[in-house]
Amino acid sequence: MTSLVQDPVFWVLIAVTLVALAAVLRARRTNVGLRKRNADLHDERGTLLGKFDELQAHQAGLRAQFAAELADVRSDAEEETKSVLKAAMRTLQSLADEQQIVIDQAQKKYGEDPQILADLMAIDHTNSQFGRRAQGIAVLCGGWLGRRESVASVYDVARSAQGRIRQFDRVRIHAQASFSVVSRAVEPVAVVLAELLANATKYSAPSTPVEINIKAVSKGVCLIVDDGGLGMGQEEKDRAAALLSPAAPLTISSLGNPPQFGFAVSGMLATRYGFTVSVDSVSPYGGVRAVILLPDELLTTEAVLPPSAASRPQGPTPIQQPPAPQPVAVEHPESPAETTTQLTPVSDSGPGPMPPVGTTAGGLPKRRRSSPVAVVPPAQQSTPEPARSNQETASLLGAFQRGTRSGRTTTTHTEGQENS
Amino acid sequence: MTAPGEEQPVTSGFIRSYVITNGRDLPDADGFSLVTLVTIAPDREPPARLSPELRSVWDLCSGGYLSVAEVAARLELPVGVVRLLLTDLADQGHLLRRAAPPPAQLVDRKILKEVLHGLQRRFG
Repeated sequence: MTSLVQDPVFWVLIAVTLVALAAVLRARRTNVGLRKRNADLHDERGTLLGKFDELQAHQAGLRAQFAAELADVRSDAEEETKSVLKAAMRTLQSLADEQQIVIDQAQKKYGEDPQILADLMAIDHTNSQFGRRAQGIAVLCGGWLGRRESVASVYDVARSAQGRIRQFDRVRIHAQASFSVVSRAVEPVAVVLAELLANATKYSAPSTPVEINIKAVSKGVCLIVDDGGLGMGQEEKDRAAALLSPAAPLTISSLGNPPQFGFAVSGMLATRYGFTVSVDSVSPYGGVRAVILLPDELLTTEAVLPPSAASRPQGPTPIQQPPAPQPVAVEHPESPAETTTQLTPVSDSGPGPMPPVGTTAGGLPKRRRSSPVAVVPPAQQSTPEPARSNQETASLLGAFQRGTRSGRTTTTHTEGQENS
Repeated sequence: MTAPGEEQPVTSGFIRSYVITNGRDLPDADGFSLVTLVTIAPDREPPARLSPELRSVWDLCSGGYLSVAEVAARLELPVGVVRLLLTDLADQGHLLRRAAPPPAQLVDRKILKEVLHGLQRRFG
């Protein structure tokens, strides 16, 4: 036993054991502490995660609110821009309209000189394009085009549209139907057709013609615009189709810069007035075929009054005396039955005998002269003399008497005495 | 969006004159002066496809001679445009034209006086 106690190894073992024991105890204590801490941290993490979710939800809410407010602000700004632009465009529209009237008058006034007339036509052409642009922007801003007072034949609507584009001389119109467009739709259809023609002439070679065919179909009348350009890709067709039947009001900023608003304008007008526009087919010349379909509601068979009949001061009452030359009928080329309007006989003011008013005793026709014929020019103007005083009248009568007396006498010796 | 009632009436001409001429050069005044008289040749049938303006000219001029100025005034078109329309009709051989009649030759006042005096001497 002593040997064991005295063995240093024994003491070393005991020391080691004690140290190990202490270490184990200590490790255990640490472990417990760590576990506790771990649990605490875990709880804390849970709380934080909960808070994080909360914050995320809050942020999403804020984001949605922000988006909604942004959309509100945007639409407010859009509305404001539109209303300002609309008011500005209204001024421009009426100015263009006024200018067109001035140009019309100038053309009639100076129409005799071919050079001046040609220059006035060039101004007119530019002004028409300007007016169309103003109308287009006004429509996109929710404004109106202006309303024509009278119905117009589809052919004339097509010609009016032709006049509003730059390369109008490339357009050929073939009318196989003769209907009239009701007055409220005249301007919108002309503007839409002009936009389609502008596209057709812009995206096809300058030498190729652009054709308008007017055809009656079972649902109304079609205006078909064919160009000989390259046509449109599927993407462009989709974009055009979306613009031509708009689901929501357009924003001005979505038109791009420079803005392409032809289809947008067409779509808005078509929706507003109830006709359809499509550009998804291919023309016989490989380009785009654009079709406007006017339903029966926008068509009428009402006669189109030519300007000469509509605005004649005495009104459209033809004179119907039998021998008077035939009254003139002005009619549309393809619609004799629909648009006939009678004018007064032309020879009313032209050459030709007046109708007899009776016969003489000898059986010859009696005619009344239509206007006095003067072979001898009047020596002086037959303007009414100003009223004379009695003294003047008396002296004039005296002079007359003296004159007749001097005329009867062969000698004139008294003349000197009278004058003295 | 404005109410439909706010729609302004548009009063300017609907068909522009350069569309009627289709951008062609305008003829000089030589062929048709303002007082040239024109009429459609007798017994002509209007061609099937006439523009509305040509049709109006046709109908207006088939009743007898009218001056160019009068045709323009009736159609409410510039004279230059009417001149082009008339040139078209003339080129197709449908139009007769004749220069305005010369102004009436007025009898000399002196001769009239002599005749009057002679009559007075004879019957007075």
